[in-house]
Amino acid sequence: MNAADQPVTEADLHAYTDGLLADADRSRIEAWLRDNPEDAARIAEWQAQNAGIKAMFSGYEKSRPGDGDMIGKPPALSPSLKRLAAVAATVAIFAAGTLAGHYGPALFERPQLQLTAQETFPKEAQNAFLIYASEVRHPVEVFANEEAHLATWLGKRLAISNLKVPDLTSLNYHLVGGRLLPVDGKPGAMFMYENQTGERLTVLVGRNTANKTTSFRFASADNIETFYWIDGELGYAVTGEISREELRKVAEECYRQFPS
Amino acid sequence: MKPPAPETFEGQILALLPSLRRYSRSLTRSDSDGEDLLQDCVEKVLARRTQWRGLNLRGWVLTIMTNLYRNQRRTIVRGNLVDIDGAIDVAAPEESTDPLERSRLEDALNGLSEDHRAVLMLVVIEGYTYQEVADMLDIPLGTVMSRLSRARQQLAEHMKSDNVITLRRPK
Repeated sequence: MNAADQPVTEADLHAYTDGLLADADRSRIEAWLRDNPEDAARIAEWQAQNAGIKAMFSGYEKSRPGDGDMIGKPPALSPSLKRLAAVAATVAIFAAGTLAGHYGPALFERPQLQLTAQETFPKEAQNAFLIYASEVRHPVEVFANEEAHLATWLGKRLAISNLKVPDLTSLNYHLVGGRLLPVDGKPGAMFMYENQTGERLTVLVGRNTANKTTSFRFASADNIETFYWIDGELGYAVTGEISREELRKVAEECYRQFPS
Repeated sequence: MKPPAPETFEGQILALLPSLRRYSRSLTRSDSDGEDLLQDCVEKVLARRTQWRGLNLRGWVLTIMTNLYRNQRRTIVRGNLVDIDGAIDVAAPEESTDPLERSRLEDALNGLSEDHRAVLMLVVIEGYTYQEVADMLDIPLGTVMSRLSRARQQLAEHMKSDNVITLRRPK
């Protein structure tokens, strides 16, 4: 079979559009397009998109007067701090929402939804991930350089005598640090990890009053995946915006390392 | 302040800044968001300089920026109003572009998910091959292809659906 007979795939059409093909392949696609007007129209559309996108952003490729300072010392008020203010505002709205939820029934006679910890736990894990994983400067309260202190402190607050901070280096995630945060109304612990390219994930540990053991469960929302399980009096959740498969490995590694 | 020597790490980052600025803007919805992302990225890159393996600095920095973008976008509620930018020495759009066409394309881009937008921009703006993008983002080649395909399809649909009202200038 010679090259001209090879079927044209959608991947070929994309590669043609993006100028990633060798001459022989280009001619093969062009011959195909003469007989396949629908594909030709698709490519014309994609090429127009490419041209529009390039025109839109090419003007930004230039230096600015402050560029040297960016490399020098960090600015007094970094963009992350500006965002911190935005997050603080969100938390305030959350708090207002909680108050309304608390006092709401008396005012509106709205039936209160009773969720068990098992249902709220993955949601809390997702929220913690959303709020803290995006923090550039203050993702945690205690950084990894004080790991021993972190374990003792959070262990004390959660009343776990031998709380261990999971070691995920075998999966190429290193510890960023941890923080105390409320989980189901009680002190809980969050550990954050990061890989070489800055992809983050969080591990949440909380007290579980129901004292009911479950298997691994899985929750997903807006591309954010959570694995969680309840082991006696403690609930665990691993959250990240990574593939389910990769996250499962993390969850299993944590399960292995946490005291049962 | 004295500019860093070109052969130093700082000097190399400084030389990359214009193209990093273009990529950060291509991921974000406004000039100020683009500059914020660029600054956060540079800060992070300088803090992690010891982790760089000495090869392909640009690819390494773009990967870090892409991940920062994905981390940060999670906190921004979708469908937010687009910032109205102050006139910081503005990158003028190409003269030939129809402003209506441009704003429709911008809307369409803002409708893409972070993952789809990043793949599209790495290919179209940065000119990486599909395999290079797969390596940079640590995802399979097939995922790159499906994200690219979905992104293009979504843009096309958005551009078509907005086509109902056609404005014409009187001759």
